[in-house]
Amino acid sequence: MFSKNIIQRFATMASQFSDRNAFCINETHYTYGDFWTLVSKIRTLLNTLDLVDQKIGLVVNDDLETYASIFAIWMQGMGYVPLHPKYPIERNLDIVNQADLKKVLDSSLNSGYDSSLVVKTIECETLELTTEILKISDDSLAYILFTSGSTGKPKGVQISFKNLDSFVSAFLDTGFELDHTDKCLQCFDLTFDVSVQSFLIPLIHGASVYTIPHDQIKYSYVFGLLDDHELTFGVFAPSMIRLLKPYFEEIDLKKLRYCILTAEASPVDLVKEWAECIPNAQIFNFYGPTEATIYCVYYEVKVNETIKDANGMLAIGKPFKGLETIILDENLQVVEKGNKGELYVSGNQVTSGYWKNPERNEEAFIILDYNGESKKFYKTGDLCLEDKDNDLLYFGRLDNQVKIQGFRIELGEIEFHARASIGGKNAVAFIYQGQTGGNEIALCLEIDNLDKDAILNSLKAILPSYMVPSKVYNLEKFPLNTSDKVDRKQVINLFV
Amino acid sequence: MDKPELIDRLTTIFRATFDADSLVLTDELTANDVDNWDSLTHMILISEIEKGLDIKFKLKELNKMKNVGALIEIITSKIN
Repeated sequence: MFSKNIIQRFATMASQFSDRNAFCINETHYTYGDFWTLVSKIRTLLNTLDLVDQKIGLVVNDDLETYASIFAIWMQGMGYVPLHPKYPIERNLDIVNQADLKKVLDSSLNSGYDSSLVVKTIECETLELTTEILKISDDSLAYILFTSGSTGKPKGVQISFKNLDSFVSAFLDTGFELDHTDKCLQCFDLTFDVSVQSFLIPLIHGASVYTIPHDQIKYSYVFGLLDDHELTFGVFAPSMIRLLKPYFEEIDLKKLRYCILTAEASPVDLVKEWAECIPNAQIFNFYGPTEATIYCVYYEVKVNETIKDANGMLAIGKPFKGLETIILDENLQVVEKGNKGELYVSGNQVTSGYWKNPERNEEAFIILDYNGESKKFYKTGDLCLEDKDNDLLYFGRLDNQVKIQGFRIELGEIEFHARASIGGKNAVAFIYQGQTGGNEIALCLEIDNLDKDAILNSLKAILPSYMVPSKVYNLEKFPLNTSDKVDRKQVINLFV
Repeated sequence: MDKPELIDRLTTIFRATFDADSLVLTDELTANDVDNWDSLTHMILISEIEKGLDIKFKLKELNKMKNVGALIEIITSKIN
């Protein structure tokens, strides 16, 4: 139960460790006492809103108010829908409309939202505290995260308290032992679900959370936190570790006890070199689609033993307790061990479905007979193989979804907006390896004359910065394949 | 190299990296003020400065570069 396992546990930590640090945000420390008081005041503010709806928009700034809002929302039995302050307002308003949000909680001094929509967090300052622990329904939503969708509109993944409670229990079951002395990194945007693990797990152990200000260069700031504050627990996207690679010789983080790699495939060579920078850390590779609540499969990397890989990428290992994974072929038949197929997951962590999106739900979930029971499985779109030791190996995406800087994006969404900006003519977005060795996005348009700045400006107004292409090309005519469709491969080969 | 000359050379590198022909460097300028100044372009910027001025930064120095003023200070300490 979420209220017992998460909320009650957090309340106990807040009272037991009220003088200890809960957060370090932009070089300022805040105690559990500070945090609890703010949570309790925001709960009172939420009570005054008389919201019949069980969800609220939340502008996710990097400040104590935003983190306190999440706990206040949860303690009132509600869910939050994160809205990134740096994303274009049009995209955020589209999410507000899609999720049918009646209010948006915002800690910004100058909110970009209409006064009828926005509730300023600062209004809680003079309010009394609400500290009572309510019974909340496990079926209520904890959050809805909107991820890139190929129809041009982001799609909402709804995660319930039951999903999140199941995640926490299964995550801790993998063997992490944290306590109030731990110092934990939270370097993910709050619009991305790994952030939830990064702040929630420390806060139910009395540990402290170290965040990254939005205006800082992430990789160097992260190193500063790890080094200056001797952090003990860190979750990283491999693309960020790659940016630190030129400096590995300088890095010696003896205090780091746990290192989780996630959000994208982890190259074994990079991980081996990184391991020398964190000599006392246990290293794990965690895999999971947002639809199955943060992570659902994991693999521990033992540097001095054989490391399993697929095409140089770390194995993803075994499913979390309480989850089932199966690998199916195109005809939905289970493939024999050792053969590749699409990974499907089932269990308490799997979402009940996309928010108000029956078409997508129809495509993404199937009911299968599994060990004599009828179960709902989520189709991950990931190509995997199960080896003889029951470890899963990951071979990449089956469809047009890719990962950029850890964010899952659909190239189709970029193409959709690009086509709109050139009067509906063809566009192909693709991935290439950038100067820093990481994935970057390129775009090719089927037009005679290219006004690169105009295209980029129109995309920047609609898409978050990680989805804006770094290269734009044009071709007068796209090559076609035998079924008269644009030959994407041929287009891409002209430039890569 | 005196400060105005250094700023001239850095301005050329900044403008090329961020594809911003009218960018003017001030001590207070931060990543927040410049379009496209993120982790990836920062990495490219640092490598271009290293190549252009024949210096090498340490990671600990990068972490202390809160704005362009701090960057200039660190470069000055390296070339003089």
